[in-house]
Amino acid sequence: MTHRTTRPQPLDVPGILLALALSIVIVLPLLVVGVWAFTEIWRYPHVFPQQFGLRFWAQTLGRPDVWHALRLSLTLATVVTLASAIICLPAAYAFARMRFPGRDILFFSFLAGHAFPRFGLLMAIAAIFLQLDLIGTFWGVALIQLVNTLMFMIWIPVAAFQTVDRRMEEAARDVGAGPFRVFRSITLPQAASTIAAALLLTFVGTFYETEGAWLIGAPGIRTMPVLMISFINNQMVIQFGAVLSVMLWVPSFIALMFARKVIGGNAFAKGFGG
Amino acid sequence: MATLSIHAVSKIFAGDTAAVDAVSLEIADGELVCLLGPSGSGKSTLLRMVGGFEQPTVGSIAIDGQDVTRLPPEQRPTGMVFQSHALWSHMNVFNNLAFGLKLRRRPKGEIRDRVEAVLDLVGLKGYDRRMTHELSGGQQQRVALARSLILEPKILLLDEPFASLDQHLRERLREEVRDIQLRLKITTLFVTHGQDEALSMADRIVVMRNGRTEQTDRPEVVYRNPLTPFVAGFIGTMNFIEGKVETGRFRHADFAVDLPVADGPVTLAVRPEALDLVPADGVRQATVNRVTDFGTHGLVDLSLSDGTRIKSLVRRPGPFHPGQGVGLKPRAFAAFRDTVKLYGAIDAEPADQH
Amino acid sequence: MLGKASARGLVGLLLVALPVSLVGWLVIWPIISAVQRTVWRASPDGAGHFDLSSYVFFFSDAYSLNNLSLTLWTTSVCAALLLVVSLPIALYLRFARGRLASYVQALAILPMFVPSVILAYALIRVLGPNGLIDLLLNAAGLPKLRTPYLTPWGPVIGLVWDNIPLTVLILLSGLGAVGNSAIEAARDVGANRRQRLWHIILPQITTSILVALSFAVLGIFSAFTLPYLLGPASPEMMGPYMQRTFRDLNDPVGAVTQAVVTFGFCIVFGLFYVRSVARNQGK
Repeated sequence: MTHRTTRPQPLDVPGILLALALSIVIVLPLLVVGVWAFTEIWRYPHVFPQQFGLRFWAQTLGRPDVWHALRLSLTLATVVTLASAIICLPAAYAFARMRFPGRDILFFSFLAGHAFPRFGLLMAIAAIFLQLDLIGTFWGVALIQLVNTLMFMIWIPVAAFQTVDRRMEEAARDVGAGPFRVFRSITLPQAASTIAAALLLTFVGTFYETEGAWLIGAPGIRTMPVLMISFINNQMVIQFGAVLSVMLWVPSFIALMFARKVIGGNAFAKGFGG
Repeated sequence: MATLSIHAVSKIFAGDTAAVDAVSLEIADGELVCLLGPSGSGKSTLLRMVGGFEQPTVGSIAIDGQDVTRLPPEQRPTGMVFQSHALWSHMNVFNNLAFGLKLRRRPKGEIRDRVEAVLDLVGLKGYDRRMTHELSGGQQQRVALARSLILEPKILLLDEPFASLDQHLRERLREEVRDIQLRLKITTLFVTHGQDEALSMADRIVVMRNGRTEQTDRPEVVYRNPLTPFVAGFIGTMNFIEGKVETGRFRHADFAVDLPVADGPVTLAVRPEALDLVPADGVRQATVNRVTDFGTHGLVDLSLSDGTRIKSLVRRPGPFHPGQGVGLKPRAFAAFRDTVKLYGAIDAEPADQH
Repeated sequence: MLGKASARGLVGLLLVALPVSLVGWLVIWPIISAVQRTVWRASPDGAGHFDLSSYVFFFSDAYSLNNLSLTLWTTSVCAALLLVVSLPIALYLRFARGRLASYVQALAILPMFVPSVILAYALIRVLGPNGLIDLLLNAAGLPKLRTPYLTPWGPVIGLVWDNIPLTVLILLSGLGAVGNSAIEAARDVGANRRQRLWHIILPQITTSILVALSFAVLGIFSAFTLPYLLGPASPEMMGPYMQRTFRDLNDPVGAVTQAVVTFGFCIVFGLFYVRSVARNQGK
């Protein structure tokens, strides 16, 4: 055995400073929301809440508008995710594996939406929806979500299909599988985790999408984020907002962490042009 | 069993470069034929056309006399082993092997028995529950081999199957593959760019270059009697010396040797083991650059006065040292003019004098 | 055989037809139509005529111009702050290993998963009147600071917070392309930390910096939720302004004019961003 002298690692000063700064700037605000959700009384100038409790959970969950918005948001997210999958997955496969005239230009047309400031684009769409009487309707809100989800649901699955080794598919052809069977038994399972992550991102993204829903839906269609906005604007009981935030955000945060693990930070950044 | 006949097959890709150019080949029952060539020689494309993954632009392919040219891969009686094994990473070993049988709706018991038998054949008994990523590179390639053998194909196709393995493993696997092939007497087409692999495994070697076959022969013939300078240079080490024939004698600035062919420019091809070195006798024909001692033999690196570098294999490297002048005495050689062979065989036993 | 190939091409086109036409209808057509309806009015007699009056109004209206300049100010301050904040984080993450680095990375990415409504709410609870900052200052016996809530600085803080993750990720991906060997070679010839950053690293990630900035500018210029919830009521940023013009003032032409103005200000960043994403994908 060689004896190793333990030399103290040089202190990672920039790392500690960054970790400290980010902890304060990023984590603290979220922590405050978490504390508010379980607080019954917290009056100025007390640094800590005077009384904890779950009273406001009961109150928040007792509001019919909360349940209505939750149901609406879940329906909206489900419909949009399913629709995006049905519309985009076959197209993604075609982009990844087939040759056809105009393939490249059509593929990059999905980028068009990203060349413009988003809310400006939404406004231009809203002007068209106004003529079509889609303002204030469920389908209007659902359609405007597609602006966000289309590119995501094309690009990530295309990348997923492209990384499936062609030789794996050929090996399956070789042992007697027809093209459709190859897709079902080889290509799809190989790409499944990435596609699942894309679906998850689409679902969560739609669930929380605020601007399109507010612009097209309000006041008739009140999704969760739209409801949150009115809670904040109307200065209602502080805890309502906190409870809603905690309730809605924690599960989706876990889902998103999972999605990021599957897709990987690099691919993620690449999708945004890094 | 099965024969494979490839008749005047060409493959022209977009941009009309012919990847494969009018290749014909007859493979007898139970024969192992190697397609050997540098990358871009069209050997893989030819193999993939036999497997059905590419369509020939012209020509036909028949297995047991039956035309399969237009059949998709899933309807051909061929089994292919891919370069990077191409195992399905979302299935375990058993499911990788059973997939083809399941497609054919064989009974469960039969599938189990056949998977077991083929795993036994490739020496991986008891590995059926492993995931493919839990296997080593050699084991993965064995599973890939088993996957193509389990369906009892008429023709086995191997596309550089050992390319991603290290030297040691490669040598062991090629012996195993050859053993299995001989035992099953399965007609096999094998693509490689390694001459060792081709020389040690094949019944016959097809040397390919730029989509054409340069020579098709038994390994020892390809080595000892190459028909073109390309084959001569591609397989084994070869010295090429440019010179001129005048009245039955090959002349180079430094030395000359009798060569009974018509006058004109000629490329002389001599294997290092057929090129003896003799004392200079006052006339320095070549200069020693470097001497490498390999233990069993030595390799002397020489240069001629015009800068041509040549090598000679000698029994004992002791007497030679850099800067020394020596005489050249080729024992066996061939001569080419414009890629056509004019004379000779380069067949020679390693020198045993000195 | 030719027939077979073109049949396959047809199948491919058929599979992509639906999403492509949706992009056409939901992105390209609205933009064309937005430009068209703001420069071309239908006359009562049915014929149309060229009319720039909505733009003339926008660029002569003091309130609109105030909003525009507030937006420009917010965007440039945010972009500068983002770079100042994100570059050190990205540089640290590129070269650091270990648990502290993973922690820093996790925190830098975290805002990506926080919906902007929740962020706005959280910032109000921290920075707003009687928020956490007030409480802490008071407890320490220090005087109150003026809260940035409902001032132009409110949206700036929120937007920077929100955009840190993608800026860091884009910069990090650019830094990933800077080889260790290039940096070691620079050390070898005697370059110190600052010289390595200035002469070796920064020149190699210029594109990434520009991409990150373009992405941030596109997002911030027409941001809606954070300025709407955290910013002042007047002047307001283009996002809330457009929304109010459209919904409350019931003036779609005015709102679309404002949208086209934002397009105009962002077009350079938009094209640059799209071009780099396309290039990246092409690779």
